[in-house]
Amino acid sequence: MARGTTDISELDQEKYDTDERVKIICLGDSAVGKSKLMERFLMDGYRPEQLSTYALTLYKYTTTVDGKAVLVDFWDTAGQERFQSMHPSYYYKAHACIMVFDVQRKITYKNLANWYKELREYRPEIPCIVVANKIDADMKVTQRNFNFAKKQGLPLYYVSAADGTNVVKLFKDAIKLAMSYKQNSNDFMDEVMRELENFELEQNEESSDKEDNVSKEEKTHLQ
Amino acid sequence: MAFVAKRCGVKFDPPSIVLVYEDGKTKKMRQRIMPVRNFSKCSDCSQAAERLKNNARHSAYLQGVSLQQLERLHAVLRDHLRGRTLEQSLASLRLDPDQDLNKLSDEELARRKAQMDVLFERNRKHKDDPDFVYNLEVEFPEVDDREAGSWDESEEGF
Repeated sequence: MARGTTDISELDQEKYDTDERVKIICLGDSAVGKSKLMERFLMDGYRPEQLSTYALTLYKYTTTVDGKAVLVDFWDTAGQERFQSMHPSYYYKAHACIMVFDVQRKITYKNLANWYKELREYRPEIPCIVVANKIDADMKVTQRNFNFAKKQGLPLYYVSAADGTNVVKLFKDAIKLAMSYKQNSNDFMDEVMRELENFELEQNEESSDKEDNVSKEEKTHLQ
Repeated sequence: MAFVAKRCGVKFDPPSIVLVYEDGKTKKMRQRIMPVRNFSKCSDCSQAAERLKNNARHSAYLQGVSLQQLERLHAVLRDHLRGRTLEQSLASLRLDPDQDLNKLSDEELARRKAQMDVLFERNRKHKDDPDFVYNLEVEFPEVDDREAGSWDESEEGF
């Protein structure tokens, strides 16, 4: 079994099936401020786990939702985005996604379409928030239309990791969305995943596009 | 302050950092040329900048010059040693909003991030600031008639 440096499939992700744990992933181009947003939200309380062999940073956060303790794992890319694509395991079992662009750089907004496409290949149903970061650089951008979010029916947050505008709200809302997705998930993919666990992989050959994705995810999982 | 830094630049031959400053006592403008020693096209610019800033003979003059600026000037000197033109070198120090940073080398990306950090630090609210609010919520109501200059072009099937 060949393992590249970005192969993160060997990480134990079964833990995300337990009730009190959620996984939230961050997506977006290099230098849009993903890590700075994490750090602003967690302040001093953060203890990132650098998994450099996987080009991955994990931030753990504990909170309560509806009186229940919840352990949140935030997944940040640590440079993996430079390959223009994330390893399938990055998406695996994620319950919500925070997708960031830099309001000072149009190309990071344009690239959202690619990130979103890849996200939906692996996680067709999870909640996703679009984040316009660095509004402190130019407040006028909050007057501008960013149709990508509207077109995809996604919420758009105007935030600044520097001055803190809407950062805490963004993460709290993301956790709420992740929890409610987990509790009410009728995610087709999750259902099919369960069904497939006892199946031979060969049977997927004549399957539809959607099931192709499933087999991709499952293969990763089985590696 | 004994020396008030006014402007800072480079000289390629020999590689030097040039400082224009005002002498606090005489109120006269003066120029100081500080040769950059042991510097090659493989040198680390931030280390070299630090070395110069802490240099016993120069540090008093460089009080008013930030480490970041010295680092940028060293990057220009190093680019010259690598055969890059001044224009190319300056362009790489400027942020191009259309450049895809995903495609840069580690070092080039770090350079861009350092530039962005200048603005970040300038606008940053620290938790010790008197007006710091951890959960700062601001609503930006959707305006029906938003101004032009949108990043969405109709022909692009977003």
